[in-house]
Amino acid sequence: MLANQIGYYSLILGLLLSVLLCGVSIKDFNKTNKQINQNILSLSFLQLVFVIVSFLSLIISFINSDFSNETVFNNSHTTKPLFYKISGTWGNHEGSLLLWLLVLTLFIFLFLIKSREQPKKYRILTLLFQQIIIIGFFLFVLMTSNPFNYLFPTPNEGLGLNPILQDPALAIHPPILYLGYVGTSIIFSSSLAAVTQNYILKQWGQHIKKWVLVSWIFLTIGIMLGSIWAYYELGWGGFWFWDPVENVSLMPWLTLTALLHCVVVLERRAALTSWVVILSITTFTLSMCGTFLVRSGILNSVHTFANDPARGIFILIFLFALIVLSLGIFFTFHKENNKSSNNFFWLSRETSILINNWFMMYFLSVVLIGTVYPIFLDVISSEKISVGPPFYQKLIVPFLIPFLLFMSLGPRLKWIKSKIENKNSLIITFIISVMLTFFIIKNLTADLLFYTVLISAAFFLFFTTLKELFIKKFNNISQTVSHFGLSLLILSILFNNILSSEIITNIKIGERYDYNKGEIFFKKIEERKESNFNSIIASFEIKNKNGKTIELKPEIRIYNQPIIITSEADIRTTLLEDKFLVMNLVKGNEYFNIRYQVKPFMVWIWISVLLLSLGGLMSLFKRKI
Amino acid sequence: MKILKIAIIALLLMGFSNLKSNEKSDELKNKILKNIRCLICQGQSVYDSESEFSSSIKLIVDKKINDGLEEKEIYFYLREKYGDWIIYDPKLNKNTYILWFLPLLFFLVGGAIIYKKIQKKNEK
Repeated sequence: MLANQIGYYSLILGLLLSVLLCGVSIKDFNKTNKQINQNILSLSFLQLVFVIVSFLSLIISFINSDFSNETVFNNSHTTKPLFYKISGTWGNHEGSLLLWLLVLTLFIFLFLIKSREQPKKYRILTLLFQQIIIIGFFLFVLMTSNPFNYLFPTPNEGLGLNPILQDPALAIHPPILYLGYVGTSIIFSSSLAAVTQNYILKQWGQHIKKWVLVSWIFLTIGIMLGSIWAYYELGWGGFWFWDPVENVSLMPWLTLTALLHCVVVLERRAALTSWVVILSITTFTLSMCGTFLVRSGILNSVHTFANDPARGIFILIFLFALIVLSLGIFFTFHKENNKSSNNFFWLSRETSILINNWFMMYFLSVVLIGTVYPIFLDVISSEKISVGPPFYQKLIVPFLIPFLLFMSLGPRLKWIKSKIENKNSLIITFIISVMLTFFIIKNLTADLLFYTVLISAAFFLFFTTLKELFIKKFNNISQTVSHFGLSLLILSILFNNILSSEIITNIKIGERYDYNKGEIFFKKIEERKESNFNSIIASFEIKNKNGKTIELKPEIRIYNQPIIITSEADIRTTLLEDKFLVMNLVKGNEYFNIRYQVKPFMVWIWISVLLLSLGGLMSLFKRKI
Repeated sequence: MKILKIAIIALLLMGFSNLKSNEKSDELKNKILKNIRCLICQGQSVYDSESEFSSSIKLIVDKKINDGLEEKEIYFYLREKYGDWIIYDPKLNKNTYILWFLPLLFFLVGGAIIYKKIQKKNEK
């Protein structure tokens, strides 16, 4: 109860500090001192401390199962393991917003201590823009989603956390994803500040690149964790469903990736300045839209856990205000500097980066329109349509072919004017890719021509980057690692798609099921009791043609609070393939419904995403050494 | 020995092709089920869901495949019965022209902008 009070008043103090900070910053802005006033740093630190205190007190309320707190009551239960009591703090609307706020204040503090070499006015303006966002979120939390609402009389027991959210990957997925989302707020604030100060220069490019990289890495890992979770908890072996909530996390990732490439042009060549600013604004807007779309509950999705129009309207107005503000600033202050150094020719690194952006923006438009259009159509004509995986596949996959080819060639080009070197070796690599692809897949799929072209393009990128990794002098190893990771990702996804196989059947204990590649034997079931669920654990023996047997133990859990039945898949992962078994109860009889899948190269999907982010990490630390 | 080997291979091949046709109808069924929305669930396909609605749809699809209906005919049947909302693959009509063509238009416009920009830089 005490924690509740402390948490609430810390929030209010945090908000007051925002106002104070704005005042002090504005006063300091026109003073002649070279460094910013030390008080600003201290106040920013103090604000961070208050938000941390508030967040910690919410965690303490969760740990103590203090049900006089409405948020705890709605989302926790005494029988939950400690780990999930803690992760329950951000597994709900109010707590996750508090986490947003925490990251917002953390990042602006880090920005202030990491930008000492930057011009004073630029730093102060960044702080001011960031404080506008922070104030918006403080008001949002306090007015519509207070995590410290008091309940009286105090209930004896809480309502519990949705069991599918009680999972280790999902416990860390939101914080990581938020670090990425909120990192874009710094990019947004500082690009606006840089525009007003006419500071979109090489130095700014070098400085902001770090923040772009940090956000990009967290966003990449965050999305991956979500996918891993969906793979073993939600889905039946799928890892990406083109679900609206997944899409809204993919959209800022696409613009951020485009921005990452543009910032490289900016830091080397001081070109593409307005485009960098537009991308910065768009990326943050999309992150906010993500929050809006998820929180307002207008999306029909498994992830939606709040349905409150007041919240939606608040975010919508706030978002609108931010967009107007940023566009206003952009058009008032931005001057395109038409230096001659801006020139470049057709065959140049600049062109290749523009092509990257071209495709990124196209992918973004597909995902954005696919996600928003059904809502729009519903509103104007009340006709309901569903836009799902087939739509995205049709519009995205064919475009991957030129994208991959450009990606194989682009990084080999030099700035300003270039020619393609080592043409022969490229042609040989290309021919090898096509032949290899043809031999691998000629018996595998009906759509031979299309897949041959697509996979060849992916292999081409794979081999060119691989060669770069081993032969070249490692001059741009971070980029090569990331591009190699992407080629591996696309190859793994494609082969995983083509080669996956599955068996769905009903089976009872002691029964054997034969299929063309082996045999499934349902050995037994055991029951187990945990504090927050009872479970039925089945053992299956799966024998493949070579006589090798593995044992898989899928589980059915009956959670007590709230009462929900979940199926936990058992997955055997090897480097070559995942074996995935999940079972379900069949109503009213002794049979269980099982789904057994063999999914080749599954683990490589995760490895390649890690490689992709590793490249980003290497680039982040390259400069410091 | 050689004859035995050939016989085994022949047998395997026969078995393989036999099962393959079976597998194919299963594959088709799963592909179709993944494209149907479970109308009473939150953003799940019929394939992913174990609800009663999904179970009944699974039976319907099974039956339609056995009746020899094509994939498209099954979608058509379901659309007639439950509306466009049920199929994840939006069909092309006046409601969805924007959905399908706007991204492509973006692609063309983007390409044109980049083309012009580089052209201009080259002229200088």
